[in-house]
Amino acid sequence: MNDKRKIQTHKITRDAITYLIIAFFIWGIASMLSLSKGFLIGEVVYSTFVNIIEIIIAVFVIIGLIQVWISPQKLSKILGKEAGWKGLAFASTIPLFIGGSLFTIFPLMKMLREKGASNAVVLAFVSAWCGKVPLLPLEVEFLGVRFAILRILLIIPFAIAIGIVGELILERWRAVKYDGGG
Amino acid sequence: MSVNNGTIYLLIAFILLLISALKDFSKTTKVLKVTGIIALTVFPVLFLIFILMGTIEAFVSKESIAVWLGSGSGILSIVTGEILGCFALIQPATIFPFAGFLHDSGAEYGAVVGFVMTGIAIGVSTLPLELKLFGKRFTLVRNLLTFIYVFIIGIVFMVVL
Repeated sequence: MNDKRKIQTHKITRDAITYLIIAFFIWGIASMLSLSKGFLIGEVVYSTFVNIIEIIIAVFVIIGLIQVWISPQKLSKILGKEAGWKGLAFASTIPLFIGGSLFTIFPLMKMLREKGASNAVVLAFVSAWCGKVPLLPLEVEFLGVRFAILRILLIIPFAIAIGIVGELILERWRAVKYDGGG
Repeated sequence: MSVNNGTIYLLIAFILLLISALKDFSKTTKVLKVTGIIALTVFPVLFLIFILMGTIEAFVSKESIAVWLGSGSGILSIVTGEILGCFALIQPATIFPFAGFLHDSGAEYGAVVGFVMTGIAIGVSTLPLELKLFGKRFTLVRNLLTFIYVFIIGIVFMVVL
């Protein structure tokens, strides 16, 4: 466990350095092409950063709180057990509040599947996760309240639809394969 | 007296953290650890995104962004936004500043929501992992359906906003 964590921290540090090197590389090339444009880039970076630093820190703390107090593992345990409409209803709403990127959400989906969740539930789960409610302050800041509310309202029907249609397609696909192959 | 939005969010986060600490101290140190890891993961990507924003602002004219993502190209701009999102870096927290930048540069709301949604839900860089964990069929169905439904959401945004 400790070793695994060490490897994880190592990977995060390595990724961080890689991103920084790429960023400075681009900045350097741009500045060589035109020094004034290099300054302009610096200005954009600085003003955007100053604008959102408080929101970013607040969002990170809130995601940390959610992750520790309502662990995703606990949530997926509940979702794996619930079948039918109830499962779909949970799967298309609860993940709205889970943080992380696709890299962290895929293993969770895998776990859901292994706990017996249907394709519909897994598909609804990842689609609803795109709601990204923990990032709401950022979304409102950059795109406005109306944009954020409309997007999150549309996520739930979107998740249910993808769950149902996806399950139908995957099931038919399997049926065709077995009929055709026999 | 005007209080910055950010200060209010920060205050809320701090109060929640305090409540958490009063309820369970060891859990709260864990919260801070998780927050630290998130910060370490996201900040470098955020820096890169800001550099990209600056570079685009310096070298690409607003007109050309508007041609590809503006209302001039109609519903095609949604598809362009979606394709752009598929290639976006995988940290969702970085999607919104860039999306706001695109909108300020003349991108239309339908294209912006297309970019935001596929930026979160579809990733070229996460495709190998998805294929490995879920297989070809599931991956194909999920990504294709998501792309189609996001297009529909884009149309709704074009009409409503």
